[in-house]
Amino acid sequence: MSAPNGVAPADPVSEADLHAYIDGALDDARRAEVDRHLSEHASDAATVAAYAAQRDALRAALAERAAAPVPARLNPHVMRQQRNVHRMGWAAAAGIVLALGAGGTGGWVLRGQAPPQAANTISIMVQEAVANHVVYTADKRRPTELGAEQRDDLARWVSNRIQTPVEPPDLSDFGYHYIGGRLAATSHGPAGMFMYQNDKNVRMTVFVRPTHSTGDKAMELVGGAGQIDGCAWIEKGVGYTVVAPVPPEELRKLAQQVHRIVDHRA
Amino acid sequence: VPALRRYAWSLLRSPDDADDLVHDCLVRALDKLGTRHEDADIRAWLFTIMHNLFVSQYRRGKTRPAAESLDETHESAGSLRPSQEDGLHWRDLLRGLERLPEEQRSVVLLVSVEDLSYAETAAVLGVPIGTVMSRLARGREKLRQYTDAEPRPPLRRIK
Repeated sequence: MSAPNGVAPADPVSEADLHAYIDGALDDARRAEVDRHLSEHASDAATVAAYAAQRDALRAALAERAAAPVPARLNPHVMRQQRNVHRMGWAAAAGIVLALGAGGTGGWVLRGQAPPQAANTISIMVQEAVANHVVYTADKRRPTELGAEQRDDLARWVSNRIQTPVEPPDLSDFGYHYIGGRLAATSHGPAGMFMYQNDKNVRMTVFVRPTHSTGDKAMELVGGAGQIDGCAWIEKGVGYTVVAPVPPEELRKLAQQVHRIVDHRA
Repeated sequence: VPALRRYAWSLLRSPDDADDLVHDCLVRALDKLGTRHEDADIRAWLFTIMHNLFVSQYRRGKTRPAAESLDETHESAGSLRPSQEDGLHWRDLLRGLERLPEEQRSVVLLVSVEDLSYAETAAVLGVPIGTVMSRLARGREKLRQYTDAEPRPPLRRIK
């Protein structure tokens, strides 16, 4: 910054002062002095104007990034639930959410000191199940890793991996024949996936994985990616998701059948 | 979280890397919530965690921070959809931002965009306040040169 011609104020205005002026970091007295300085020094005034414009433009240019929706995995509330950290103060976690103005998933209400409900686990389960459903059912030749004839092998394998005894429910009474299954990947580790097909070649999958709880959660129908919905519930800490490209009412009925069979077996 | 993402994005440029950084930052923050001093501003605190993670993970070359690879610039700038003539200016500006050395870029962002005070910025970056001031001055000056040098309807060139 060029020195003013011959005029030397008692406390010369420095470059740092100009930046502090732009950033509103000066106290009133100093601000007035800088104001006076700027009115007498056109080049400094122009510099300040340019930097202020730059600051505004930066904010404007980056505003869109801040406005982008926050994915679930970056939502502190969801993250906290997944970690299931009980020792932490509930109010403190709420502080993070509030301070950052997150709440991307919406509908989150602080319920006194109640422990966090698995409000989002269901929708996460459906997301995972739909993602796997879409990938594997689309495969004409190898949709499953072990076919229907290796039903028991698969059941043993999956049960081992997810450390929960499971087997594919028999849904033939409802027109869906078991065609095989596989181990699937989720962000929570392995899950079992059982695949069925009806005589119109509609494929349906039942997805099973443990959750981090031991509780129950009522059945919910959640819209998945594209046109495919999933219907999920949690029973004694085990999450079930039924996915099929059928209308919601039909899906719900199917899920209820699966629920009944699994329930009966347990 | 939006602010953290914005900052991380500007540091790393790759949205995926940036989100990973935000994620690690939040994990760390949730771990450390219990030990946090209640009086500290939570935003500054989170930016501090993020900066430390960035320094420890990314600056050591796990991921190349933005500054060098100019080729990707178009892509990331193009992913923004600003309106009309502002668009051109913004793109120049963001490209300029990416060309700044990381230390100057962080200061410019924290002060200009995230509204942290100089003292908070100094604390976040772990440097003296004087360093913040000089990086801010150099960063802004360079950014101005970059954007002025771009071919666009000339503003008054002031020296």
